[in-house]
Amino acid sequence: MEEKSVRRGFLLSKGWLQAVVIVMLLGFTVLGILAYRTYQEGAPVPVKVFDPEGQLLFDGDDISEGQQVFLHNGLMEYGSVFGHGAYLGPDYTADYLRRASNISIAEKGGPPVDEDGLEIEDSDPDPMPRADVARQETINEFRKNQFDEDSGELTFTQSQTDAFEKLIPYYTRFFSADNTENGLRKEAITDPEDLRNLTAFFAWTAWAAAAERPGKDYSYTNNWPPEPRVDNKPTADALVWSAISLIALLGGIGLLFGAFGRYRDLGWHGREQTVVAFRDPSKVQLTPGQKATAWFFFVMAALFLIQCFVGAAVQHYRAELTSFFGFDLAAVLPYNLLRTWHVQLSIFWVATSFVAAGIFLAPMIARKEPKGQGPLGYFLLIALAIVVFGTLIGSYLGIHGVLEDAATNWFGLQGFEYLDLARFWQVLLIVGLVVWVYMLFRVMRSRLKREHPGNMPWLFFLAACAIPAFYAVGLLARTADDFTITEFWRFWVVHLWVEDFLEIFTTVMVAYMFVLLGVVRERVALMVILLDIGLYSVGGVVGTMHHLYFSGTPAEHMALGAFFSAIEVVPLTFLTVEAWSFLQLGANQESKSESAFPHRWAVMFLVAVGFWNFLGAGVFGFLVNLPIVSYFEIGTALTANHAHAAMMGVYGMLAIGLSLFCLRYMIPSNKWPEKWAKVSFWGTNLGLAWMCFATLLPLGIMQLYKSVNDGYFEARQLDFLTDNTTEMIEWLRLPGDVVFIVFGAIPVLWMTFLGVKYTLARRKEDGGGDGDGDSDAELFTVISGPALEDEPPEFQSRTDPTPGT
Amino acid sequence: MSTEILLGAAYGVLLLGGALTLEWLSRHTHNRSQAFRTSGFDYDAQHDFWVCHQGEQLWPTEFDREKRLVRYRAKAAVCNACPAKKDCTDSHHGREITKALDPWPHSEAGRFHRGIAVMLTVLACFVLTVVLIRNHGPAALAVLGPLLLLALGMTWWLARDLLRTPTGFPEAKPAHGNRIEAK
Repeated sequence: MEEKSVRRGFLLSKGWLQAVVIVMLLGFTVLGILAYRTYQEGAPVPVKVFDPEGQLLFDGDDISEGQQVFLHNGLMEYGSVFGHGAYLGPDYTADYLRRASNISIAEKGGPPVDEDGLEIEDSDPDPMPRADVARQETINEFRKNQFDEDSGELTFTQSQTDAFEKLIPYYTRFFSADNTENGLRKEAITDPEDLRNLTAFFAWTAWAAAAERPGKDYSYTNNWPPEPRVDNKPTADALVWSAISLIALLGGIGLLFGAFGRYRDLGWHGREQTVVAFRDPSKVQLTPGQKATAWFFFVMAALFLIQCFVGAAVQHYRAELTSFFGFDLAAVLPYNLLRTWHVQLSIFWVATSFVAAGIFLAPMIARKEPKGQGPLGYFLLIALAIVVFGTLIGSYLGIHGVLEDAATNWFGLQGFEYLDLARFWQVLLIVGLVVWVYMLFRVMRSRLKREHPGNMPWLFFLAACAIPAFYAVGLLARTADDFTITEFWRFWVVHLWVEDFLEIFTTVMVAYMFVLLGVVRERVALMVILLDIGLYSVGGVVGTMHHLYFSGTPAEHMALGAFFSAIEVVPLTFLTVEAWSFLQLGANQESKSESAFPHRWAVMFLVAVGFWNFLGAGVFGFLVNLPIVSYFEIGTALTANHAHAAMMGVYGMLAIGLSLFCLRYMIPSNKWPEKWAKVSFWGTNLGLAWMCFATLLPLGIMQLYKSVNDGYFEARQLDFLTDNTTEMIEWLRLPGDVVFIVFGAIPVLWMTFLGVKYTLARRKEDGGGDGDGDSDAELFTVISGPALEDEPPEFQSRTDPTPGT
Repeated sequence: MSTEILLGAAYGVLLLGGALTLEWLSRHTHNRSQAFRTSGFDYDAQHDFWVCHQGEQLWPTEFDREKRLVRYRAKAAVCNACPAKKDCTDSHHGREITKALDPWPHSEAGRFHRGIAVMLTVLACFVLTVVLIRNHGPAALAVLGPLLLLALGMTWWLARDLLRTPTGFPEAKPAHGNRIEAK
């Protein structure tokens, strides 16, 4: 009999949907304007750079080539430029600026410098009559903008020219050193032309950091880095917008909580739930697509464990730079290679879990799965594995110099931090994510036809569509383009993709899990999701610009970025508190179900997500967010502290929580490793907390102090990182790292192995195949009580209320 | 006195302060969350009943000993005729709300926060001990010693409470408590 398709109306008032659409449209309109402004007003790359005699020093192509040498050799995973990159090596903008200004001051009669461009310590500048004049002349020269906008030509002063010529040998010595003492491989870069171009790239960033913007009294980088030798100090914008964003944060939290205290209809609390009985997980039949996800979770856990080991090795470089317990690790696995693996794996394993959870949930939402979903799942898994291992091998070959030029860019590594993977793998990953969206679509197609586009099934699907769409924006960051522009697009992925769209997708998934479990009504969950999208989008979209305070973009990027990213903390705080109520409803502590709530540890991981969202993303994130703090802090351990607490704390815990939710249905109840779930929960959380509080936070505070007190250049030097007290702090995290790996990551791997083992056993019991027809998905829960008009179709055929409860 | 001693002491205090802040924040969040759950209802502590925003009273109907909570329920006939029922309850037996009896922390989430707080105090002990060993001497002992004792005391207090506190995880059993006669 043909079923009549009646579309279900929108469950909430239209105002909810309209508000969300307007907020998102406004956010992206502003972001579009800022993209235009970045192209128009970004730090210009000169066509040609001349010395005062009119001789060509280097040109725009040399700068671009130097930028590619920097990226393709993985140097953004060793040090940084404009403050962005890794934290072991120096920031090369600050590094070049300090050495060049020292050389200039010395030439003009100030303190003498050694061949590396550093002041000779024993020299006493006071008796030198020319010292103050030399300093002032250097300031004048470096701040004067000699860039001709019409011709695109830049003229260096004599001292800037001399500094450039003298620093080529310095950087040549550093990068072509025949040892691994700095954590790089031996003779990392030896080609003289590459080294000259690399120095030209550093020289350009340093020029942009000191030369004043036309018509302004601050540089292209808003006077970053702090450097008294060229009179770089915080701008009025940095101070004013820091104060305004602080007020916005406090006011925003007050307003939001005030509003929710006053209007009781807002939010989703205070409503009694119907009676639910949780189905025994062993008795929930899984579809072929769902069974395939067992392998996804196993791969996820394996990648997680590899990332942990790689991270431990990265950390060892900071505690003991020149040797790995007597072994010269940098000869095989230099710091920058390990770090690019560490950073890329963090995205890969988390994304693998989210992809798998999406495949697992879709049939539950649609209540059936079309034929072929299982094989498609395995195909996707193999494709993802090719991307992951291709990326890891390519990075190795690129950083070891086996691949060169275009081959590195396409198959080795592009080298942008967090977007390190080579272009071929990047495209392949996007294709893989599109295949994943197609897989979800083919499952949900019939369900989507029957739903209003504002309801949960559509939100689930649209949120999934946004994942490949916004990841693909990363293709706009090309290694040969202007660095300011590449940074702009890179942060669309690092911030917008991760902090907005992954967050939204996971919120939809978690909310849907509770709906499918029957412990939260769909209308309530829909309200949470739209609230989440709206609140995150108010701050999160334009807030992306908080990464671009000092990357050569105009001051309005700083102003808007600071303001909107500060108010991003407001929903973060609010939703964390709200999440408590949600989880309490979810855990259903007061339920009268005779069957146990099966997701104790999945929910506990979600509790952990709430905690780390507040601490890692909220507190630690805000700690480094104000422009005035970021001015001194960017690229220090405080950034690493925020990154670890937010990335692992929020997305890592979420990925593990999602995997436990799904594994619960793959592993028979009597075999469920309750003990290991508990161990992994405590192991990951205590290990991460120890990591942050034992090392990253105190070291970051010390480094910030050093930066403000002695200078940013000093705070980023290896001398500081290998200082006795600093090394002790680095070693302090060892117990936490051990706990994290042994009691956190390894039990997760074991549980996912059990998932594979018992899924295979179940397949054998089912006859060894995935069947050749559509599969029906069973719900997790049996619900008693009267059906409601606004409830999803799967809950409409419920049993009569249980009398006398 | 070396800078390291002062830094170590300051960070030890910061960690202990962090542990106490976390304790306070957890309690505060829990209370706020509880308040949200009973939003729209006022509790009369003297007579032990709740009043909903439509003015109907909810009286205790059941004391669940295992889950350590009291259930309050409004009259079914009144709720079923109430115009606000759609936004209040699905039940045809009258709106029910519950009140947990145990003081904080009684839930597993509370134990999680307590666990993190214990970790912070353990870390404070660890940091203070390492700095004391590296800078052993009367000055270091005078500054770090009392702090170490305080950190040990806090660890013992928090850890003992953590171990004694049940997880509060709902077992796979139906509610079976003492029914209280409806008034």
